[in-house]
Parts: sequence; C-alpha cells; structure tokens
Amino acid sequence: MRPVLVCVLLLLPVPAAAQLPDHPISNDNGTATLGAEVSGSLSRRDNAGFFNYTDYDNDALRMARLRLTGEWRPHAQLSFLSELRAGTNSNVELAALFARWRPVARWNFDVQAGRVPPVIGAFARRAYGRDNPLVGIPLAYQYLTSLRPDALPATVDDLLRMRARGWRPSYPIGANTDTPGLALVSAFHWDTGVEAHWSNDRVDLAAALTRGAPARPVIKETNHGLQWSGRAAVMFPAGFTAGVSGARGQWIDQSALDARPIAAGVSTTQTVVGTDASFERGHWIVRAEAMHVTFGLPVANEPSFTKPLAADTGFVESRYRFLSRWQVAARAEWLTFSDVQGTLFGGAATPWDAPVRRLEGTAGFRVTRTIELRGGYQYNWRDGGRVRKLGFPTLQFLYWF
Amino acid sequence: MRRRLILSVLAGLAATSVLAAMPRAHADFKAGNVRGRVQQPAVTPHGEYRPSVTDLGQPLHTPIDRSRAVVYIDAAPRQAFDALPAGRVRLDQHNQTFEPHLLAITVGTTVDFPNDDPMFHNVLSLARGNSFDLGRYPRGQSRSVRFDTPGIVPVVCDIHAHMSAYILVFSHPFFVITDEVGRYAIPNIPSGTYTLKVWSELGAADAKRITITDGTTLDVDFQVVRR
Repeated sequence: MRPVLVCVLLLLPVPAAAQLPDHPISNDNGTATLGAEVSGSLSRRDNAGFFNYTDYDNDALRMARLRLTGEWRPHAQLSFLSELRAGTNSNVELAALFARWRPVARWNFDVQAGRVPPVIGAFARRAYGRDNPLVGIPLAYQYLTSLRPDALPATVDDLLRMRARGWRPSYPIGANTDTPGLALVSAFHWDTGVEAHWSNDRVDLAAALTRGAPARPVIKETNHGLQWSGRAAVMFPAGFTAGVSGARGQWIDQSALDARPIAAGVSTTQTVVGTDASFERGHWIVRAEAMHVTFGLPVANEPSFTKPLAADTGFVESRYRFLSRWQVAARAEWLTFSDVQGTLFGGAATPWDAPVRRLEGTAGFRVTRTIELRGGYQYNWRDGGRVRKLGFPTLQFLYWF
Repeated sequence: MRRRLILSVLAGLAATSVLAAMPRAHADFKAGNVRGRVQQPAVTPHGEYRPSVTDLGQPLHTPIDRSRAVVYIDAAPRQAFDALPAGRVRLDQHNQTFEPHLLAITVGTTVDFPNDDPMFHNVLSLARGNSFDLGRYPRGQSRSVRFDTPGIVPVVCDIHAHMSAYILVFSHPFFVITDEVGRYAIPNIPSGTYTLKVWSELGAADAKRITITDGTTLDVDFQVVRR
C-alpha cells in the first residue's frame, strides 16, 4: 500500500479521538493486557540516496507501522510478553516473544528468555513512537552499511565498489540475491536467547547470551555462534544517567563462510563497545550515544586487509516540551568508517563505506495524551555514492495505548 | 449607543444590589442533607500497565484504589460560592502511583505533587482549562498547580504511563468522595431542588433529581454500570 494512502487512513481516526482507547485493554483481573501503537510517517521519495532505508526494506520516513503488544501475568513473578508488528513492505512478524521471571519477589532481578529486547545502548529499547522524539532513527541503528551477512567480498576492491550502496550491496561470494546491507546495530529485529537484569536506585546492570550478533539478530541459528552483550549504567540523583555497553557475536552466515574456505584465526565476529548518557530534568531531555563497532571480515584474495573493519558512530539529541502540548527536538549524528586500501581510488587509503552526517529537527503537538502529530526536516551529507546530500521534510502521526 | 451603555450600567447596579442583599454563607440558610451508597462494578486494584515489552525487567506493580466515586450536586445556589474552602492539598507520587488516586477540590485550591519515589516523575494533564506539565523532577522535590477552572482533570505521569489519578474541580462545596464501601454524605445543602450526580472512572450512573428541605436527610443510592 502506498505510504501516502496509509497515512491518510491512519489519520482518519483523529476526529474520533474521543472514541479511541487511551489506556491498555485488560481483562477483569488485570493478568492479561493488550497495548498498541500506530504510526505513519511521510516524506519525499528517496530512490537514489536511500539514506533512511532500513533492513525491513522500507524507508523509515515513509512508512506505516502497527505494533500490538501483549502481556500475560499468570503469577506476580512470571509474565509472558509478545509483540506483533506489521508495516509497509513487511509481513506480520512476531517481533518479540519471551518469558520474564523474577525469582525473588523483593529483588529487582529478572531473567528473560525467548526473543528478547537488546541490552546494548539505550536507543534500541525506546526506538518506537513516543519514546523517539524525532521521526528519523539514529544512523547507528538504521543506516545500511555495505556489509551483508550472507555474501562476502573476494577482495578489498569488491568492498570499496559497494561504498554508499548499503541498500543493495552485492558480492561474488555467497548469496546472489538482492537484499539490504546491515545497520551497525539492529533496533528492530531482536535476538533470541536469555538475558538477566538487575537494578536498584542507582545502578542498572544487564547481560544477555543470544544466538546472533548486534547487527544480525536471528531466530534460527545461522552460524553456530553465540553473542554475549551487556550494559552497566549509573543513575545520578540530578537526572543524569551514564551507561557503558558491549557486545560480541558471529555476524557472518555459515553459508557464506562455507562458500569460500577461510584461513584459521581470521575473525568473523562483530564487536560493539558503546557509551550512552542522558540528562532529563524539567522540560528538557538531552541524550547521547557513541559506539565503536568492528566487523571481522575474511577477504580471500589480494588486495586484502588484516584488521577488522571499524565504524564509529554517535548522536546527540535533545527535546524540549512547552505549553503542555508542544515539543521541539533535534538530533545531530555522524557515522564514519575505517580506511582500507585497494587498487580503486588510486590505491589511496579510503573508508570502506562512505561516511554520513545527519541533522534533524522536529516540532510535535499532542492532540491528546496518546495522539501526537509531528513535522520536521532532516538533512543528510555523505562522502560518496550517487547522491551526496539530500534533505527530507517529515511528517508523522502517532497513536498509542 | 449611549442609551445602551446607561442600561448596562443600571442592570449591573441592580444585579450587584440583589447579590449584596443575599446572605454571605450557605450555613445561614435552611439546609438539609443527602446520604447514601454508590454501588460500583467489581474492580481489581490493578493499574493501567502497558505491556512492558521493551523493558529488561518487570516494572513495579502497585495496587491502586479505583473503587471510589464522587457524588456531587450539578448546580448549586448562588450563596454556595461565597465561602469556598479553597486551600492546599497533596497528591503524592509513591511506588509509581498517585496517592490518593482520586481528589475532589474546589476552584482556587492548590495541589502539591511531591515525588517520594527514587526515580524521576513528570506530572501532566491535558485537561481543557486545567492543562499543565510539571516537567521531570526527582525524589524530595515537589511542584504545585492551582486549579481555577471547574472540571475533570485526568492526571498522568509522562514517563510512567501506568500512573494515573483524577482531580475533580468544583465551583461549589457540595461534593464528597465515597468511602471504601461506597458510602457518602453531603451535609448542609441549602433547601431547594437539585440534580445529584456521580462520577466514577469505572462507569456511569443515572443522575437523580432531589429536593432538599430544611433539617431533613435524604437517602439516595446509585448503581454505577460499566460504560
């Protein structure tokens, strides 16, 4: 369905806002709860730069999405949670399905098992609707790099040819289908495994053991690898929170590795080291995240390289609320890549993907507590590709309960 | 134009003299009482928790008292507005709930919203005429709002969506919050005929027409049914 039509359909309920539920639907004893979020974003079409395309094969600025979340708490210390998600260009997906168990009622310690939310960073757990103050998604979690888990370059030059083509990178080894590349960290596909979380008034600790990689969460095993990830955060009384997180997992599919035998000792893991901070006080929220990400990539033929591919990314965002219903928000972000050297670009050291910078600003209006309208503008700069810079006016409709 | 101005001034003077001739306090009037019971639908004391799918742990589930209702007369006589007991009341934020869950106040009352929780809260209402956003503030701090417009004010926390409370703001003093079993009593209502109403977050009850006579006590019960 065309995004414009979807957005129009989504906006139809606005005049009837009084009839829409504004709180979750639950059974009489409160053990089963259903929530929902409907969002529609609209912007100019981007068939050349693909700045906002995601691994869901859609444009984050031109999409409609429905999330249905459910929780069943048969016992005060045990609950089962799920999320069904549907959106433009994507099938209905069971995006989350896990059990949450609190072994001791008075301890803030929980174990979750199944398709679980990511523990690294901070944005991935507030990527939706009202928790994201802007329409766009940070580059770290959305921008498609030229790496694919199921296809590998044979030489450095193969990799360099795909710079700024993360929307549809192709390589000679492995799968020859048309699929998008990987974002550094996936915010929308969740990994499968087990995680534990403990917190008190000042400290928040989480660790997970799952079967994918930060960029490549999976349900079914694809490479016999495991991912570990963790985050530690400290909450200061003044409203300042600082966290550090890390993750390491196998990101390349076994099918691609089998297509070309690789030398022993060559890394095929993705590593993420990140830090996040937030300051929330009065009508202000200021948040920042930074990540250093490496991908071990076996390249069989010369010209080759020995160090893992690296990427650095970060963003600073701020939101200010005024007059109860209004808010303005802005985000500045960057994404850079380490250099590799092939025969292309005159043999000079060149970032393995094209660096990107982005600025975005949004103004929002709350029609009701659960209905919000936003409008803004996003501008992108890229040091490579057919389109080097492009701006997007943005509109968004949000409804949740 | 000049004639219209003179008529307006005369009308204003006439109204002022009539009002001045009326007694200052409703207690001076002949008055009666109304009491009774409000039967509410069975309700479990759970909050409105959204499924916490993106959380890494279980959010705090604190039981809340949603069983109370407010009984009030729809329109009061003029003298009821003379001595409104406006003052200062508290609506605490404790264990991620508002305590009490239901407040009934008169216009001009200031409500304090102290935060007793270890985390930040952001008290908010988008009620027409009484909207406010107190921003995020930590434990030990308080913000306050003066309510000058009658109406129903749903109060929420902008951070913790399951936190909710209701403040009913009246322009007269003839209202009461029911007790834990639904009983209520409104004393000293000036003699006259009124519409007695119930507000409940759980449903609605039919309004009742009552006539108060001097020194009598009326028994009026209500049945709230789910909307």
